[in-house]
Amino acid sequence: MSHIHIDIEHVSFGYETNQNVLNDITFTAHENESIGIIGANGMGKSTLLKLLVGLELPTKGSIYVEEIPVIREMLPKVREKIGYVFQDSESQLFMNTVKEDIAFAPRNYGLPEEEVQAHVQRAMERTHIQHLKDKSIYKLSGGEKKQVAIATILAMTPDIILMDEPTVGLDPQNRRNLIKILNEFNHLKLIASHDLDMVYDTCNRVILIADGQIAADGIPQKILTDKELLECNHLELPLRFQA
Amino acid sequence: MSKLSGAYYEIHHMEQLANEDQWVNRIHPLVKLVITVLYIMTVVSVHKYNLARILILGVYPIAMFILGEISFADSIRRVRLILPLVCIVGIFNPFFDRQVIAHIGNIAITTGMISMVTLILKGVYTVFATYILVATTTIEKICYAMRLVHIPGILVTQILLTYRYISVLLKEANTIMQAYLLRAPHQKGVQMKVWGSLVGQLLLRSIDRADNVYASMTLRGYHGEFCYARQKKCSGKDYAYLLLWVAVFGILRYII
Repeated sequence: MSHIHIDIEHVSFGYETNQNVLNDITFTAHENESIGIIGANGMGKSTLLKLLVGLELPTKGSIYVEEIPVIREMLPKVREKIGYVFQDSESQLFMNTVKEDIAFAPRNYGLPEEEVQAHVQRAMERTHIQHLKDKSIYKLSGGEKKQVAIATILAMTPDIILMDEPTVGLDPQNRRNLIKILNEFNHLKLIASHDLDMVYDTCNRVILIADGQIAADGIPQKILTDKELLECNHLELPLRFQA
Repeated sequence: MSKLSGAYYEIHHMEQLANEDQWVNRIHPLVKLVITVLYIMTVVSVHKYNLARILILGVYPIAMFILGEISFADSIRRVRLILPLVCIVGIFNPFFDRQVIAHIGNIAITTGMISMVTLILKGVYTVFATYILVATTTIEKICYAMRLVHIPGILVTQILLTYRYISVLLKEANTIMQAYLLRAPHQKGVQMKVWGSLVGQLLLRSIDRADNVYASMTLRGYHGEFCYARQKKCSGKDYAYLLLWVAVFGILRYII
């Protein structure tokens, strides 16, 4: 098995007892895969991502990130491997300036200051935001905030990236830029989104979640062109396939 | 602009000010912190009837406003809510301390009046000294300096996060107020009967936002101790600046 992978084994989770959001989810995500998690509102896409980084812990089943179990004691190790980009980028950014925010994680991991700066520089280059370096977080536009949020994650040099609705609130150009950035990231990605066109452009595997279970798992060319399957699950064909 | 969004932008304006590339911003944060504390101690230590000395000690804020190119008008506007509180401190002195020490025309000058003015000036100087520190040093640098003098990490982190959460709270409060006012266009202010639910909503939403911020921090390796950017070591200029002000405070306090 490749070094970078996530194993999800019979995972169930509910915010309230006897009301599971996710039911018996099992799948493995491998290195170089880019997985689109799709599904209607409230089907548990974001919850699944939160389980993978231990923001919530499964009520049943187990999750392994590169053989490390996602349990409370192992969370610091798990979180070194995974970068999680929130749906609301604003919550993710809390330092004063862009460069300070990007430097937050490398500093926490105890890197020497020269290395911290090198990580910051590389992350900014990869997300094309060098010009925002000294800008205040509060003066960024929605698209810039999203790019900075991704840079804060890239600065951690994670093996795996999780993204929750990355294109929400982006204008077409920023959306296109984001797709380009995502395609440049070669490790394992899991992207929860309603934007099926973006999923088609960035993912080589799609998992459809419905009623807390995996309703379909396969390549985008198969799942995202299956009109009946998508409509049954309150979704629609990507715009490019609509007449 | 509403008062809430005004307050929100004021905080960010202060942060911008602290981030400027002026000479005073480049001084080591520890030096600025020490000078501020020394100044406050010097001011506080002056006897309540020693009005002349307290007037002379105004040199520090005046010099800093001029040399640091900090807008005095802006600073008055920003501390306008604190200044009346500071003034209240000594307002009853003239009623209790009535010993006449001089006359100006027909007006008798009492020790109570002198001590009131002294107390007010002490408060005003202290507020301005703190304002000068905050206007020229980012909160992260102030906290870094506090850690250098071994103030407990837990306390410093509390200060830093409280400062950060003020923005979160203001933004949420502003969103709630805007949503309310847009749906109550003919009302002046908020109706009494909805205050409870508005405040409850504000609490829940700010807890939610704070939770997200905290989750984002822990996901990026935060483990209870803030890791500050290592600042350059104190240079000769920093030491000279410190010695200069220590000497000035010493002279103003004990010699003149």
